[in-house]
Amino acid sequence: MSAMLLNKEKWPEFIGKLTGKNLWAPKLEGEAMRFAPVAEDEVPELTDGNTRIPPKNIVFPQTETMYRFQLGDFEMKEPELKEEMILLGIRPCDARAMVIVDKLFSWDVDDPYYLKRRELVTLVGLACSEPGLNCFCTSLGGGPASTEGLDLLMVDLGDSYLLETITPKGEALVSEVSELLIEADTEKIKMKKKMVSESEGKIKRSVDHKGIPEGLPGLWEDPLWKSVSASCLGCGTCTYLCPTCHCFDIQDETEGFEARRCRMWDSCMFEEYTLHTSGHNPRPTRRERTRNRINHKYNYYVDKFDVIACVGCGRCINLCPVNIDIVEILRQVKEAL
Amino acid sequence: MDLEQLRKTAAEVVVREDVKYLIGWKQGSYGYRVAPVFVEDASGAAELLFSPLCTANLATYLTLVEKTPLPRGQEADKRKVALLVKGCDSRAVTQLIVEHGINRDQVIVVGCPCPGVVDTEKLAEKYPEQGKPAEVEWNGENFVLLCDDKETELPRDQFLAEKCRLCRHPNPVISDITVGEPVEPWTLADDNGVEEIEGKNLEERQAYWEEQFSKCIRCYSCRNVCPLCYCQDCILDRLNPTWVNRAVNFSENTAFNIARAFHLAGRCIECGECERVCPANIPLGKLNRKMAREVRDKYGFEPGVDPEAEPFQASFKPDDPEDFIL
Amino acid sequence: MSENYEPNIVAFLCNWCSYAGADLAGTSRVHYPANIQVIRVMCSGRVNPLYVMNALQQGADGVLISGCHPGDCHYMEGNFYARRRMGMLKDLMEFVGVDPKRFHMSWVSASEGHKWKEVVEKTVEEAREAGPFEGFRRRQIDW
Ligand code: SF4
Ligand code: SF4
Ligand code: SF4
Ligand code: SF4
Ligand code: SF4
Repeated sequence: MSAMLLNKEKWPEFIGKLTGKNLWAPKLEGEAMRFAPVAEDEVPELTDGNTRIPPKNIVFPQTETMYRFQLGDFEMKEPELKEEMILLGIRPCDARAMVIVDKLFSWDVDDPYYLKRRELVTLVGLACSEPGLNCFCTSLGGGPASTEGLDLLMVDLGDSYLLETITPKGEALVSEVSELLIEADTEKIKMKKKMVSESEGKIKRSVDHKGIPEGLPGLWEDPLWKSVSASCLGCGTCTYLCPTCHCFDIQDETEGFEARRCRMWDSCMFEEYTLHTSGHNPRPTRRERTRNRINHKYNYYVDKFDVIACVGCGRCINLCPVNIDIVEILRQVKEAL
Repeated sequence: MDLEQLRKTAAEVVVREDVKYLIGWKQGSYGYRVAPVFVEDASGAAELLFSPLCTANLATYLTLVEKTPLPRGQEADKRKVALLVKGCDSRAVTQLIVEHGINRDQVIVVGCPCPGVVDTEKLAEKYPEQGKPAEVEWNGENFVLLCDDKETELPRDQFLAEKCRLCRHPNPVISDITVGEPVEPWTLADDNGVEEIEGKNLEERQAYWEEQFSKCIRCYSCRNVCPLCYCQDCILDRLNPTWVNRAVNFSENTAFNIARAFHLAGRCIECGECERVCPANIPLGKLNRKMAREVRDKYGFEPGVDPEAEPFQASFKPDDPEDFIL
Repeated sequence: MSENYEPNIVAFLCNWCSYAGADLAGTSRVHYPANIQVIRVMCSGRVNPLYVMNALQQGADGVLISGCHPGDCHYMEGNFYARRRMGMLKDLMEFVGVDPKRFHMSWVSASEGHKWKEVVEKTVEEAREAGPFEGFRRRQIDW
C-alpha cells in the first residue's frame, strides 16, 4: 500500500490519461445521479453524495445476454467479455456491497458473467466527506473511508486528492499516472485521518444489529411485519436500487429467427416473483415480501455467508415512495426481540 | 388546517362498527417525509396529519389490497374503508367508481380541501433535509417551514408542486365528510411542459424521449403508486404472450412507457404521483398532461369529476374527431 | 435512404369489411403495392395499441388499421372505439417522436376494392417518405 498525492490542478490531466481506458464516473441526469461513461474530452467533477442508481449494474447489468442462438439451430454464441473498465468515484459502501455479492456469485457454481466483469473492473473509490442523511455504513462494518473491495481509494483533502493503493490493480493504475503524483507526507496522512473521523461523526443514523440475525426467525409471525409493510406499494425501488440485491430472472427472447437467453434483475417485492404456475403464491401479500427482504439481508445471508447483506447506503430509505425506512424496521425488530 | 378537527373526525369514523380502517398521512421518519398510515382505532387518529407535505395520493390503497384465500368457513371482512383525500385524490376515487374499480358504498371519503402542496425535492434543494422530521404549514398564500424552532417563509410561486400549479380541482369532487373550509381555486400556470415538447421537431422529440426512456429501470413504481393502475393481470407482467420483453433497454422501455401513458389516457387524474416516485426522474407528467389535454380539447372529457360518467376509453361519441382517417 | 428502399407495412384489417375489401381488390385484379403484410382481426376495435407498438418494435416501418365505415361495424360499434383509441395513440406517438406518416387508419368496406388500393398507395408512399423506422426498433438497440 502506498499513499500518493494528486494536486487538483492536475485533475484534468489525470482524467485525460484515463478516458481512453473505458472510464466511468458519476454523472448527474436531471436530479438523479448514476454512473456513465466519460467521453474523451470530458472532465467529470466528483461531487458530494452517492449516485442514486448504484454501480452494481456495471458488474451485474440489469439485462445480461447469456448467449444467442438461431431458432432451429443448436449453436450457441456467448458474448465475449473482455473490455477492461475503470469505475471512478465509487463510494466505499458500494464497493463493499460488491464484496458481499461476490460470495453469492462464486458460491455453488462460479457465475462466469459476474466474475468476469468483476475481474475486468478497477474500482477507484472516493471517501465520503459529506455522508448522506440516511447513510449508516458505520453500523455494518463499513465506513466513509472503508477500503474493502476497492483497488484504490481517493480522499479529498481540499486542494488535492490522497491516493491510497490497495490492490495490485490499483498500483498498476497509479503507475500509469505516476508523473502527476507526488509522495504524500505524514502531514497529509494526518489530514486524512482527521477528515475521516469528522466524516464518521456526521453519520447520524445507526442500526444495532446485535442479535437480529439470530432473533429474526423467532419473529416470523410477529405483528410488526404487518404494520411496517401496510403502506408498501410493492414496487422494485428498494431492491433495484440496493447495491447488494442480486436476484434475477432468466428469459428467452426472440426477434425473427434470432433468439437470446438473458437474465435481468428481479425483485422480491414484486408479486410475480414467487407466483407459481398453479396460481398459488407462497408470499401472497406485501407483508411476506417485506419480511423476506429484511430476512434475506439480515438473516439468510448471514447464515450462509456470515455477513449482513446490507451495507447501509441508505438508498432504500431515500427512495421509497412511502417512507418505509429499513432503520426504523430494524429498530422495531430489535425492540420485539 | 385544523388538525384537531381532522383527528376528531377521523376518530369518530374509525370507531364506527362498519369501518375497517382509515387511511391517512402521518409524519415520516425524517426530513420532509410523510408516510401513509392505516388507522384502526381512535387512539391511532392522534397521529394523523394534513400539511403541505402530504403529497401521496392515498386512493391507490383502495385497489392495492391483496386478498389471500380465506380459510373455509371464514367470512370476508366487508367493512368500509375510510380515506383522507385532497382534491386530486378525490378525483382518483371518482374515477375508480366510474370504472367499477371500487363500490361507492365501500368507501368513506373524508375530504380535505387543499391549498396546494410543496415540491419536496425543490424544498430539499434549498433547505436540505435534516435527520429530524420537519414541519411545513400553510400560511395564507405561502408555506412556512418549521424546523429547529425556526420559521422560514416559503414563497408559493417557488415551492408549489407542479401538479398543484395545474390543478383544477383543489376541493374534493366527492366527499362524505369534509374537514375544513373550501379553498378558492387559483389561476392555472400556463406552462405545462407539453407545448415545449410539441414545439420541437420530430427528431428532437425522438431524441428527447430516447434520453428519458433510456433511463427507466422498470421498477414499476410509477405503475404501483398510480391509483388507476390496478389491473389484476397487468400486460407488463404477462409472459404468454410477452407484449413487453423483460429486457431493459430503450426499445422495451418505450413500449412500456407508451403502453402506460396510453392506458391512462382519459383516466389519469393528474395527481403527479408517478412522476414524484420515479427514481430515474422521467417526466411522466408531461406524457400524462399531453394525453389529458387531448382528451379534454378533442373529446370534451375530463376524468374523475363525475361519478356517473362513462369510462372514456370504453365509450364513444358518434362525432368523435376522425380527421386522421384516410 | 437507399434508392430501392421498400417500406414494410403491417396492416390490421377487420374481418368483415376491410379484409373483404382487400380480397375484392385481389379478385378484381386491382394492382396495389406489395409492401403490405395483412393481419386479419375480427374487428378494428380489437386492435390493441400494443399490436402497433410491437409491429414497430419488430421491424415494421408503418402500420395501417382498417375497419368498416362508422355505422357499418359488424359488432355495431367496435370501430367507434377504435377511432377514439387510435386517434389518441396517434397523438401520443407523434408526441414521443414517431413520424405520423407511419401510422394510418382507414375505413374500407367490403365493396371498396378501389378505395383499398388508394389507401395502400397512400400508406406506402408516406411510409416511404418517412424512411426506414429506427426509433425504438428492437434491433436498433444492442440486442
Ligand atoms: S420502495 Fe417502498 S413501497 Fe416500494 S417495494 Fe420497497 S418498501 Fe415497498
Ligand atoms: S438494504 Fe437499503 S441501506 Fe441496505 S444496502 Fe440495500 S439499499 Fe442500502
Ligand atoms: S453509506 Fe457510508 S460509504 Fe456509503 S455513501 Fe454513505 S457515508 Fe459513504
Ligand atoms: S417509476 Fe420511472 S424508472 Fe420506474 S418504471 Fe416508472 S418510469 Fe421507469
Ligand atoms: S398516471 Fe400518474 S398522475 Fe395520472 S393518476 Fe396515475 S399516478 Fe396520478
